[in-house]
Parts: sequence; structure tokens; C-alpha cells
Amino acid sequence: MRDSAIPAPVVDLDRVVVTYGGGLFGRGGFQAVKAISLQIAPGQTVGLVGESGSGKTTLGRVCLGLQPLSSGTMRFCGEAFGALRQRRGQLSVVLQHPEWALNPRLRCGRSVEEPLVILGMPAKERRGRVAAMLENVGLDAGFAERFPGQLSGGQRQRVAIARALITEPRFIVFDEAVSALDVSVQAQVLNLIRELQDRHGFGALFISHDLAATRYISHRIAVMYQGEFVEVAEAARFYGTPEHPYSRKLMATIE
Amino acid sequence: MNNIVSCEDLVITYQSSNGPVRALDGVDLTIAEGETLAIVGESGSGKSTLGMAMGRLLPSEAGREAGRLEVDGMPVFDMARDDLRRLRRDTLGFVFQNPMVALDPTMRIGRQMQRAMGRRARAEDIHALLERGELDDPERVANSFPHQLSGGMAQRVVVAMAIARSPRLLIADEPTASLDASIQDKVIGTLCRLRKESGASLVILSHDVHMIARHADRVAVMYGGRIVEQGTTARVLGAPVHPYTRALLKAAAGHEKPGEWLTPIPGTPPLLTGRCAACSFEPRCSVSRDICRSSRPKPRTVEEREVLCLLAGSEAERKEVAQ
Repeated sequence: MRDSAIPAPVVDLDRVVVTYGGGLFGRGGFQAVKAISLQIAPGQTVGLVGESGSGKTTLGRVCLGLQPLSSGTMRFCGEAFGALRQRRGQLSVVLQHPEWALNPRLRCGRSVEEPLVILGMPAKERRGRVAAMLENVGLDAGFAERFPGQLSGGQRQRVAIARALITEPRFIVFDEAVSALDVSVQAQVLNLIRELQDRHGFGALFISHDLAATRYISHRIAVMYQGEFVEVAEAARFYGTPEHPYSRKLMATIE
Repeated sequence: MNNIVSCEDLVITYQSSNGPVRALDGVDLTIAEGETLAIVGESGSGKSTLGMAMGRLLPSEAGREAGRLEVDGMPVFDMARDDLRRLRRDTLGFVFQNPMVALDPTMRIGRQMQRAMGRRARAEDIHALLERGELDDPERVANSFPHQLSGGMAQRVVVAMAIARSPRLLIADEPTASLDASIQDKVIGTLCRLRKESGASLVILSHDVHMIARHADRVAVMYGGRIVEQGTTARVLGAPVHPYTRALLKAAAGHEKPGEWLTPIPGTPPLLTGRCAACSFEPRCSVSRDICRSSRPKPRTVEEREVLCLLAGSEAERKEVAQ
């Protein structure tokens, strides 16, 4: 649980609906996300918990601009989202398995550097940024020369986080980012995310099925059930007794 | 009570291209009939190696170097092929982490179940067994391919298959790590209920301390290929005496207060190439002394549990912890 103040949101969802499949006019489709409104402020983490099929990942895709909306609006830093191309370097994602984010045939330094290449940064500047970012995530510069296969799970996730942060994005989605890690490594990575957020001030959506990790890292938590938020509350609430019965059921799994 | 598993000073080494890796460095463990034992540890601690050793299911590059492992009174590493098959078939039941890997993707569930149950199993028997695994609509499940089931359902199928021949010992390796939090507990609940009905023993290998606290009678904490602390769940998780167990509980989210920081364990687990002559946790330990670097700890009983630590229970160590 962390304290929060609320300036203009990085991500602003207003009654967003996402329907999969269905015929003309969306009839008979499956509503994965039902009229959800959510604001995420800079420097703030919103935790998103819920069981599989509740629409967590779809909502994460919406926040990244990867999912066309069936209705509702999404604003990014106060403006219309526009084309994905315009948002280069402003958004990022860290996935459950770092193996999915890192090319096994590229040295880690190269993987971290790639987003900057796409942004067109000169090579000299890039090298310095990569070294600084690796240090930032607690890896010494030697790791730039190694391949992902030569690292442990926790180290690989650090490289993935470095790659996600290298363009200094304003918003990052963490989709089950610590679920595949060991308990002791989980704590390291969670602390790392908290420290980096304090330093860089990005807004974040932390998607997880693990309420214990989520409430540790989040300022606010949204509990999702069948495409709807059943409860949105300050993370502190989830150290006591949350309101909705479904939230309480989730709480029971970590007691 | 009789012991279904007894393991003495078991040493298992993997031969890799970079030389030998000692996964188990002298494990002493007994599992009583009808009990639920949880083996906790980080990846690389050797818990999976120990679990697989109970069915001698280790890859060919792994070999037993020393020690003894008996399951149901049979020496697992010194028995004939046929006896080993019989042991695996009738005495043991395995549940692995990922049900999609454990099930054959090209075969309907019903046929796979029949293979596990024996040729004489009829459709009704298969449906009844699936029902015991708490799968509603067993007929549909039996007619499905694994990819048509959700992860939770597939894991229930695996559980049902594991108990098909009423094994005496169930070994579950991270049985819920690949499932959603909201169904993890239900699947473990099913597993524990089936264990209780059959009176078998259950070994859960996991790093999820919350889940273990709810379901296990006894806990064994593994580190560096040895069991560093074992005893009843209430004693070990409620009042740990080994520095590693304490560090592990401190690193797990769930018991911190709002605003507090978690304390990760510094460093990485060791990769042993030979017998560890000192305490393997010493490099990461916050209370270590000179003696920890020079002598290998032997099992001792401290506060009603067995512990592998030279300092546990001593005055000096208690003071350190209080700080």
C-alpha cells in the first residue's frame, strides 16, 4: 500500500466496452469488458485482480491501445489516444515470462537498446543509456554481453523491465510480471518496481491473480469479475476487510 | 505409525557438460502414512529432484551417489525393473505443475483415464472417478481433448488420474502454480479431500507458503540440497528457528503491514559441485559466525523441530533475532 496524490491521469477510460465476436451491431457477442471507467495518475499503480476470464488482460490491452473499443473513450495524458505509432516509447509492457519479451538470440544489451533504435536515437547516446538502465535495475554492465539463456529467471525479468523502461514511458502494464518468480526473487522485483516508479514517476497497471503481491505494490486496487469492477478501493482497504463478498473471497486465499 | 518414505543421507548428482551438479547433498527425511508433508524451497533447492527420486523418475544424467531411499519398504534405487514398474503403478501417484504437459494432447480424456485405470474400466467408472475429482459434467469432460478444458479442469483430471489406482503416496510438484489464484485453493482442497478419503500420504512441493500453511501437517524447508528445518506446520511456519526459513517468510508478500517494505533474501542460492563442507546458507545469512564457514551442520532438535543450523536456539542467535 502506498500513499498517493492525484494529478491529471495518464490513462483515462470512460465507460469502455469491449465485445468479442457477435453479429451485426454487436449482438450475441461476448462482452469481455462492460462499461468500465478508470483513471491512472502519473506515479500511481492501480492493481487489477480477478480470476481468469474476468477480462483483466483485455483491459490491459485497452490501456495499451492494442484493443479496439466497442464503445466508450480512452484518453492518454489528457488527449485522444490517436494512432499507436504516435505513442512510440510512451507505453510499455512487462509480461509474465521474460522469455516472451527477450529474443533468445540477442544479447541482453541489444534487447534493452532496441526500443531506442526504433526511436532513432544516435548510437553513442544509446550505449550510455543502456548501461545506466541496467545499473538502475540492479544488473552490472557485464550483463549486456550475455544471452537471456545464461541468466536466472529473476535476472531475466530485470532485463525485461530495463527494456520496458529504457524509453522512459509514461505508462507501463505489468501483466503477471512476478507470478513466475520464486518468493525471494518476487520481493526483489516488487521492490525494484516501487523504487523505479518513485524515481521515474510512470503510471502503472499491475495485473495479477496474486492479491498479496498486488496490494503490496499498488496504490489502488480494482477487483474485476465477469467484465465489471465489483470493487475499486485504496490498497489499504485490502489489508483489512474489503466491501464486496468476491473481494473477501480473494482475501481468504492469502490469509 | 509406519513410514511410507524413509530417506537417509541421499545424494543425487547431475552430470552436466560443465561438470557435476550436486542437487541433493544428503537428505534425511521420513514421511508417515496418512500425513501431508510440504517441501518448501526456492527453485534450485532440490525439492523437485527429491520428489522425482521417490519414483526414480530422474533424467538419465542424474545418478544416486550415496544414501538410501525406501518407498513402502522398497529400495527405490536398487530394485528390479518390474518391481519399479509395480511400485510406480500401484503405490505412487504424481501430479505435476502443468496439466497441459502431463496430458496427451492427441487423446480424449476418457481414453487417457482408461489407460491409467486399467483396461477393464468402463465408461461409468471413468465418469465416477472424474466426479470424485469434482468435475461436473464428467461425460463432456471424458469426450474432450485437453485443449478444450480450462487449466483448473485439466488439473482436476490429472488429480483424478493420479488417484485412479488408490496410491499410497501422492506426490504433487507445484500442483497449482500454473492455475489462477481463485481456483488454486479449490484444486488443493480437492487433492487433500481425496487424500483423506483414501488414507494415502501426500507430498506437496511448493514455494507458496500461504497455501502450505493451510493444508500441510508437516513442513520441510529445503536449501542447497538439504532439509534445513522440518517439523509441524505450526512450529516451523509459526515460529521458525532457521535463518533461511525466517528470511523466506519475510520475503513473502502477505504478512507485511501497509507501507512496509519486503525484505528480499540477498544473493542467490548455491550451485553445489561437491559435498558442502560448511553451512550452505552462510553467504546469505544475516546472523552467521566464523564457525558457519568451517563446519557442516548436523541435524539437531531445537524447539520441537529438526534443524540444520549451528546457531539456532543459541543465546547469541536469539538476541540477533530480537533486534
